[in-house]
Amino acid sequence: MRIGLDVGGTHTDAVLMDGQQVVAHTKATTTADVGSGIETALARILEGVNPAQVELLTIGTTQFTNAVVERKHLSKVTAVRVCLPAGRGLLPRADWPADLVEATDGGNYLLHGGHLYDGRELAPVDEVEVEELLQTLRTEKPAAVVVSCAFSPSQPELELSLAERLSAELPNSRVVASHSMGGLGLIERENAAILNASLLEFADHVASALLISSERLGLSCPVYVSQNDGTLIDLERVREFPALTFASGPTNSIRGAWALTGLSDALVIDVGGTTSDIGVLKNGFPRQSNLVIDVGGARTNFRMPDVLAIGIGGGSEIGEGGISCGPQSVARELSDKALCFGGEVMTFSDIAISQGRMTIAEATNSDPVETKICDAVDQLVLEKLTAAVDLMKPGGAILPVVLVGGGAPLIPGETLAGCPVIRPEYAGVANAIGASIAQVSGEAEGLHVIGSKARNEVIDTLAQLATANAVAAGANEASITVVDVEEVDIPYMASETTRIHVRVVGDLTLGAA
Amino acid sequence: MKIHATDLDDLALGAVFLATGGGGDPYLPTLIAKQTLEQTGPVTLIDADTLGDDAFVVPVGGVGAPTVSLELLPSIDEASRVLDAYATLISREIDAVASFEIGGGNSLMPLMAAAVRGLPVIDGDGMGRAFPEAQMMSYAIAGVKPTPALAMDYAGNTALFETSDTTTYEHHIRAFAAAAGGMITVAEHPMSGEELKRSVIPRTVSFSLALGRLLREQRGPIADLLPSLRALFVDSVYGSVHQIFAGKVSGKSTRTIGGYDVGELSIENFDDPSDVCNITIKNEYLVATAKGKPLAMVPDLIVIVDAETSTPINAERLHYGQRVAVLAIGAPSFYQTPEALAATEPRCFGIDMDYQPLALLIN
Repeated sequence: MRIGLDVGGTHTDAVLMDGQQVVAHTKATTTADVGSGIETALARILEGVNPAQVELLTIGTTQFTNAVVERKHLSKVTAVRVCLPAGRGLLPRADWPADLVEATDGGNYLLHGGHLYDGRELAPVDEVEVEELLQTLRTEKPAAVVVSCAFSPSQPELELSLAERLSAELPNSRVVASHSMGGLGLIERENAAILNASLLEFADHVASALLISSERLGLSCPVYVSQNDGTLIDLERVREFPALTFASGPTNSIRGAWALTGLSDALVIDVGGTTSDIGVLKNGFPRQSNLVIDVGGARTNFRMPDVLAIGIGGGSEIGEGGISCGPQSVARELSDKALCFGGEVMTFSDIAISQGRMTIAEATNSDPVETKICDAVDQLVLEKLTAAVDLMKPGGAILPVVLVGGGAPLIPGETLAGCPVIRPEYAGVANAIGASIAQVSGEAEGLHVIGSKARNEVIDTLAQLATANAVAAGANEASITVVDVEEVDIPYMASETTRIHVRVVGDLTLGAA
Repeated sequence: MKIHATDLDDLALGAVFLATGGGGDPYLPTLIAKQTLEQTGPVTLIDADTLGDDAFVVPVGGVGAPTVSLELLPSIDEASRVLDAYATLISREIDAVASFEIGGGNSLMPLMAAAVRGLPVIDGDGMGRAFPEAQMMSYAIAGVKPTPALAMDYAGNTALFETSDTTTYEHHIRAFAAAAGGMITVAEHPMSGEELKRSVIPRTVSFSLALGRLLREQRGPIADLLPSLRALFVDSVYGSVHQIFAGKVSGKSTRTIGGYDVGELSIENFDDPSDVCNITIKNEYLVATAKGKPLAMVPDLIVIVDAETSTPINAERLHYGQRVAVLAIGAPSFYQTPEALAATEPRCFGIDMDYQPLALLIN
């Protein structure tokens, strides 16, 4: 059996799974110390279960995203960029909010070196410069150092050798190589690496706490955390790459919909208290966004799910006579303000209860809302969702729409934009179910100058690199399949050049960790 | 008129609109330009008409692959270093800096060069939009020679160009860009005040700024924005604004051929998926057709904006499923002349189609 945990801002959900079967599920409140909320949820689903039977505990958590957004638990990071004589134009942390700079600023250093798009050396590395840097850092003893070299995603050797040298010379500093945190786009990759480095101390704390909580409940199984793309990383990798969990929330709800329905292609609507988040399931994984993702005000190149949020949720406020629904929401104050709890505000939950779609056990007021108003609101919600589904669905395809999240029963109708609506059992804990899926991935990216090598050869080489990365992350090599090959042309070059990105996924080797 | 650091977000947004799909992501160039102007103070923008006929003007800008700039990063002094080297080369005092193209990041380079050297910038450019090749520039069409030109790479290596004609120049400069790490900064098309006055597309810098401001302040569905957009364009060198299509991006295929992004884009009508608008791309949006009939074509401007926010979208940022509106705007009168059309009509891009002005196609 496996346990999936989802630690959100408000709720900590847990599910106990036996294969595809949900054995037990629960919703607990997220506590300030996080650990006791997790332990409450775990204790509830483990009631009457021998903890030794649990083979795997997987956790989705928003703690690291929240740390960056709230500027809490962040350490100072020294940024070393190897790019001169290019790359002088913008210093590390350019265009960050001042409070995020302040929370992470451990100094910036620019050195000579790096590569060009075609693999040539940008400039030779200057030994004197490197020695001077080492001398300074030996005195300053930074908590963490980021090394970023121009074009390191295509040629990581230089960045790796400098990172190793820094690690050897500064035994008490954590060193992060930028290419481990993203592809082409120096500023975005370096930003991601700095955010990651600033979270390393906190990640140690969180990983240890998760391990302690699981041990306290008698669990001796390996503990994994879900990352941005829905696949898993172990606690050792969380200690190294906490930033890889930034988008695990929306990803887990989409992956949960996949696990609940077995559909590999579908639209997924995660209905919450304030918004409904619409994502796309493609080959069993979330469709990724093309846009640059902002984390706490810093631009990063994380690959995150393409999600459209619209202001419809359980707490959405209803305008006079049913003329509007949201985006204003009573959010977490539903149980104080909504009509069904004796409050003054008509919410979308009140409409759904009156229409007989939903029941809230703790509700204190059962006076139904006028049918005329309910019908008007339902009509409005359907129109908004139809437009949003139409925007997200690929081409003219008719795909099933899967409703998940605590607010799934709120949504009326059997079709949206011509697509059939599916309401799976356990939709309310889809996130925790998504977190319980045991797969790991690996990625690799490189530039291909057309004519210099066959395209297939380049893709094969990248797939081998990605496979090696997946195996390093715990995948069973025999189960690995290539799930995505993405090719982007680079314009304006005399020789045709494309950027190829390969991603592979494999089953986690249970018992190997 | 002065351009301040605080104006640059609006200027860049207007420049993305006028880039008609090309020009690259404006994020890094805008950041750099802001840093420059915060250090130097504002730049003076002057009308071409205020220049003496014997004044000496040099256009400055970048040539190469925007993707390369994502790694090598644009630099705060590359534009001014090129201008310094150029001034030394020709041992002549430069009176003003001008722009090749208002569309995209090249609208900001001249401002940076001028700011550092304390020179004014011409309110105007050599395209009124973005075009992929040097011989399509109004300076070239009006007979201004591209050379002597000086190009500099990230390390300060320079190359001097002296070519017989603009087409040869275009081939040579592109070869140098590829050899020098993929992105270079260039000073070219040196000219007199008299030459500038007859070749410049006037007042496009101040217009781009006003356009960006309007797009920011009135951000919202295109239907709401269209009346004020039309009113703004009435007082410009451009023709009138028309919405020629609206729908969902249903396909996009682009390939890099001969150093350019070449491809096709299709957009499906919201209400009738069988009604499809096809747009031909060569770095920029060139020709829009629907039901086998042309809706708009180069050199008239074709602009794609997000249907909900009216934010202009670069070709490389367009993706499947986006809801967009396609706008078309009449090219500046300079580009309606037979000489200009001979360098920029659809046939110059290998599209077998006679140029039909937007005003005619709309009726």
